Amino acid sequence: MRNGNAGQIRIIEAVFAVFVIYSAFAVTANLPISQSNSRNDNLASLGLQTLTELDSDGSLGKYIDQGNWTALQEDLSLALPTGVSFNLTIYDEQMCEINTAVIGNGSFGNQEMAFTEYVCTSRSPAFRCYLIRLYLAVTT
Amino acid sequence: MPAVSVDTFFACSLMVMLVLSAMAATTTVLRPHINNAAEGIPERYREISKYLLLNEGKPSNWGQNGQTAPETFGLAKPFVKSAYELDMDKVSRLNSENVYAISYADAYASLKMPDVSFKMEIKPLFEVSISLVATFKLDNDTVYKFRISTERNGSPVPTQLRMLTVAEDYLDAISVSAASGEKLQNITISDSVTGPALLVVLARSSYNDKIASFNAFAFAHNSAEPDPKGTFLRLSPLDYGLNASFLTSGISLTQAYALTFDYDSPLVQMANTSESVTYEIPHFLDSAPTVLVVTGLDTLTFFSEWTAYPQMPIDMGADFADSHTLSDVFSFTYLVTVDSAIYDCAIWLGGPKK
Repeated sequence: MRNGNAGQIRIIEAVFAVFVIYSAFAVTANLPISQSNSRNDNLASLGLQTLTELDSDGSLGKYIDQGNWTALQEDLSLALPTGVSFNLTIYDEQMCEINTAVIGNGSFGNQEMAFTEYVCTSRSPAFRCYLIRLYLAVTT
Repeated sequence: MPAVSVDTFFACSLMVMLVLSAMAATTTVLRPHINNAAEGIPERYREISKYLLLNEGKPSNWGQNGQTAPETFGLAKPFVKSAYELDMDKVSRLNSENVYAISYADAYASLKMPDVSFKMEIKPLFEVSISLVATFKLDNDTVYKFRISTERNGSPVPTQLRMLTVAEDYLDAISVSAASGEKLQNITISDSVTGPALLVVLARSSYNDKIASFNAFAFAHNSAEPDPKGTFLRLSPLDYGLNASFLTSGISLTQAYALTFDYDSPLVQMANTSESVTYEIPHFLDSAPTVLVVTGLDTLTFFSEWTAYPQMPIDMGADFADSHTLSDVFSFTYLVTVDSAIYDCAIWLGGPKK
């Protein structure tokens, strides 16, 4: 009977050991890993550079003052690489959305998105400050 | 349960947990370093691509001096505050059509990074296509019907167009709108004019003056079919001067023009040798490339040659087409400004696979 108990204990030990090993592996596999977001960073960087380039002569502020959303959309469509979807929202100093039409070139679906913010100003007739939020995604 | 078994069980569990904890800790500590070895490559290449565009190179005016190869490669325009503004002469010297062009070997050596190969493309944000669709003969004139399309990867681009027709002692210009990205336009040329003629189209986005493009189309008019571009002259603009090198003997030049969206002007000759002629290019205020046209006679046959300043499009560097299995190749896209106009710049960087 004692020998029988000893066998059972060994089995219980083995089961516990397997449980401990698997638990350790499970914990190790789920340790927080710093995921590289370089693709999103590239897209966000491209978006910021595009807005900066288009605004180098104050064009963005001028378009916003005029409410010329078509020009904004056309400029971005031309400046961003083919296959990049975008959606742009413009806010005033009170963070109220001011674009009265959708400025974008399609829906995003389930793609990974990047996001960039850009502050632009205009000074005609009065000094104004706008916050531009540009969402980007690579069309697959 | 005997005490020995309990001891053995706890001792074994403790050892297993210690070993696995050590494995987990080692993995956690080393993972960033292991990942960096692979993930750091695109980041490094991205920084190199920025370096090419944001650094002015050494000497900083290597673009203007056609005899100088850069000690350090960089395309930025010196003494400007805005980023991604490139020097038009440095860009022109990347074009192999230019007699002052630097070779890829020179550029690679001056980058001073032996493990990095690169390829660079700089071109307008949209393309202009020109095709002759019909010809009508009138009493004293001939009417040529052209289809002009402005597109970006197949999508129409609304533009304003300026079309200039150049023939022997003849220059005519018209401006039209192509709101749908396509225009059918009739060009009428008198039969007293001698060809071949050259139709130069300068296009500008309807919404942004800084987004512009151009193209040219040579066609027969009172003449035989025109010879391909680059048959008679090699045109090399640099430092607001245009060098026209003769490619065949018996050439005499008659006229040279600088054409932009808002201006056109004959070029003034600065120097003349038996092998080339140099013209001065005026500084126009247009934020668009200047198209340069030189006309002349090859013995008795009229010809016209053209190029743009800055000399676009640029396509130089290593060929990565078949290297993807052996190399890590990454591409980066930027918008760059050259002489106030915006261009598309794509840079490919590659090195040995790690």
